[in-house]
Amino acid sequence: MFDLATIMQILWTSVATSSYYVLFALSFALALKVNKVFNFTQAAVMSVAFYTAYGCVQLLDWPAFIALPLALVAALVLSWFIEVFGFSILRERKVEMLFVFIFTFMVSQLTVYLISLAFGTWSHTIFQSMFWPVTLVGPIAISGWDIPALVVAFGSAAILFAFLRFSRWGQFMVAVSDNPDLAELYGIEKRKVYLLTILIAGALAAIGMFLYGMRAQVQPRTSLDLMLFATVATIIGGIGNLFGALIAAVGLAVIQNASILFISSEWQAFLVYAILFATIIFLPGGLRMPKFGTRFETKTREISLAEETPSAPPSTRAE
Amino acid sequence: MSAVLEIDGVNKSFGGIRVAHDVTLALSGGKVLGLIGPNGAGKTSLFNLVCGIVKPDSGTVRLNGQVLDGMKPYERARLGLSRTWQHIRLMSSLTVLDNLIVGARDYPGENLARVLFSVGSTNAAARRNAEKARDILARCGLEDTADKTLSDLPYGRQKLVGVARAMMNDASCLLLDEPMAGVEGQSYATMQKVVREAAAAGVAVGVVEHNVAFIRDLCDEGVFMFSGRILARGTVEGLISDPRLTELYFGT
Amino acid sequence: MEYLYIVMISLGIYVILASSFNFVIGEAGLISIAHPAFFATGAYVSAIAALRYGVPIPLAMLLAVVVTFLVSVIISLPALRVSGDYLMIASIGFQLGLIELLKNLAITGGAGGLSGIPSFLVPQIGNGGYAAVVWACAIAVVLVLRYITRSDYGRAMSAMRDDELAFASLGRNPMWVKLWVIGLASAIAGFAGALYAHFFRFMEPDQFDVLQSAALLTMVVVGGMRTSLGPVVGAVLLQILPQAITFLNLPPSVLGPLQGILFTGLVLGFMFFRPRGIVRMDPVWKGALQDAPASGGTHVRGA
Repeated sequence: MFDLATIMQILWTSVATSSYYVLFALSFALALKVNKVFNFTQAAVMSVAFYTAYGCVQLLDWPAFIALPLALVAALVLSWFIEVFGFSILRERKVEMLFVFIFTFMVSQLTVYLISLAFGTWSHTIFQSMFWPVTLVGPIAISGWDIPALVVAFGSAAILFAFLRFSRWGQFMVAVSDNPDLAELYGIEKRKVYLLTILIAGALAAIGMFLYGMRAQVQPRTSLDLMLFATVATIIGGIGNLFGALIAAVGLAVIQNASILFISSEWQAFLVYAILFATIIFLPGGLRMPKFGTRFETKTREISLAEETPSAPPSTRAE
Repeated sequence: MSAVLEIDGVNKSFGGIRVAHDVTLALSGGKVLGLIGPNGAGKTSLFNLVCGIVKPDSGTVRLNGQVLDGMKPYERARLGLSRTWQHIRLMSSLTVLDNLIVGARDYPGENLARVLFSVGSTNAAARRNAEKARDILARCGLEDTADKTLSDLPYGRQKLVGVARAMMNDASCLLLDEPMAGVEGQSYATMQKVVREAAAAGVAVGVVEHNVAFIRDLCDEGVFMFSGRILARGTVEGLISDPRLTELYFGT
Repeated sequence: MEYLYIVMISLGIYVILASSFNFVIGEAGLISIAHPAFFATGAYVSAIAALRYGVPIPLAMLLAVVVTFLVSVIISLPALRVSGDYLMIASIGFQLGLIELLKNLAITGGAGGLSGIPSFLVPQIGNGGYAAVVWACAIAVVLVLRYITRSDYGRAMSAMRDDELAFASLGRNPMWVKLWVIGLASAIAGFAGALYAHFFRFMEPDQFDVLQSAALLTMVVVGGMRTSLGPVVGAVLLQILPQAITFLNLPPSVLGPLQGILFTGLVLGFMFFRPRGIVRMDPVWKGALQDAPASGGTHVRGA
């Protein structure tokens, strides 16, 4: 059972499934890094992306090249709506974190119920079949989904990192994540940066959901569990460290797939919660992972840490 | 007079930046010591290190001879260490009076069992604390603000409330972080009086301040900090007239 | 009449839950959604002790309270050591994870639930008597929590909620305050669970799922956070509304989501249009001693 071929197969499947976990984790980590919110509305965006795609493909019989872009647009519209009529108003009112949390939590729950009402609580996939042709490469079975999914996921990740590093607006996002007030003094429009971040996060989550929905079944609640996975990856990766979240997502995918060998199937769902608590107890600050960022970014953070209140992760309260 | 607060060889760096570089400093009872230096010199960081909000990489802090290393902020405060904040940090949902009461040295109301089962003694302590708070407010010229909240007060008076709250602790060492920034007029004079009275009562006072006039009027002595080091210690007059230090302060 | 008693009993239990939840999330400002999980812990501990081990019911209920207290403290301690954000995440994990656990364990009856739980007091005093007992407990809980929030402890809780770092630097121990708040409120939720289990005599894991978190949050926010009466008003209102919907005779596949939409929609509406709830919250903490003539209390402040 533990022969090399099995282990190789599990590793390959882990890497393949990590494709969507990486996108969910990057989406969650990005909103936390720049907008300083635990963006649980991500689950709503994920659900809307999936169900729009499902509805267009299966109920309306539209081709995928129309359905998927349309679903992406739906996810972006919802993200825009959430930012403009939700987050930005709460930010303006300077409400406590508590109310921001209630908002995000309630939006994610509301979506679950709305979708249950519209589509029922059964499982669906985007396409009729979720089985993909398999090619054997040596002892490893590679499904037709694997390679495209990896290309899409890591391609998106690469574009995101390049965007943050080299584009003007990407640098604005990094600046706002470091010190929003200072960024504003330099003439960066915070509101636009926050909106852009939420839109990018929404797009990442939606793409991840397309990958997921082509290979696995989705219920109205699925996105909540997937998002919890992203939350765990974000914490393990170290809050504010996108690259760390990416690595952690891959690691979690490996653990989850390898657990098939050790844990019976009914306890599989329990694994993510066990990892969550283990993380909080043993790795509260996250793993110290390498960071992609400009020198300027790290420097300013240290100075602001040194001069102002140094208590751990992001804004527990807005002053 | 013997040292109340002793900082001995404290080092701290965040990543590559050293905010405390082998800092050794003693504060004596009854004296006011001013910390001078440009922004980013590590003055506030030194306060955070002393109060236990930031853990030093090495070095020792003692209060009245007792080693504080490894203690949490609240444990240090209970031993008689009190501080104010650059951004005041008053509790916005409490009245001024309640802000002071919650900082009292003896606060049995913190213990849920005592609140529920020893009502008489907690109420007695509450009354004592309220009386003491009113007394301190009176000394700070804030009698009229007892039932007001933070947002009712101008900035200068908020700063005074911050100092008044720090005095509820009967501290033997009081650290004031920019008490005069944004303070004008009547509050300015009151602040000076209050700090002087505290020192006269034997408290060791440390002040971080950019207002040179205030430092000169108030401090018995000063130290000059630059990029985490203490470069000089002496009379305030001597420090601010030293051309090299002035250059460091305004230069670069 | 019997139907009315049953509604009254579940109403009383929700008053207990909403009030104790407000104590954690409103008064102490600790972000946690795991209150239904603690409710479930109490219900299952008491039910299993009585059903499977023959423990006398009053003792089983006491055990439920103690176990819930300990579980809540053990779950919260590692998260609180880091920050409030971690408590929020740990609570989500515990809320979702516990339901998963209850569905998989043999001793809890799995997803099918636990039935035949021995009933308590009802054979002697009837449903009406039990309703009176539940409401007496509910009123006691509301009054005790009101007493605590208006005592010196409440002042400390408000201060900690406002600025934890400043609070600690004044010599107060925030960790201790948080653990007691969570422990006490969770123990109360556990007690409510025991009251529930020995009356309804059947329960399944899905009854305690995250929909209940949303429902309790709604009761607190809509009723009026940081008030003692608000959660009571919220609980009554939000118990009656879904009851009213059940009269529409909708199929359960529609009814469940519809109730969820009602809860979450209400909370979002209130958050943006009436953030201080039906019983308006006072942004300034007031203690019991201050009610005395001493201060006129002329606080004029925006939210």
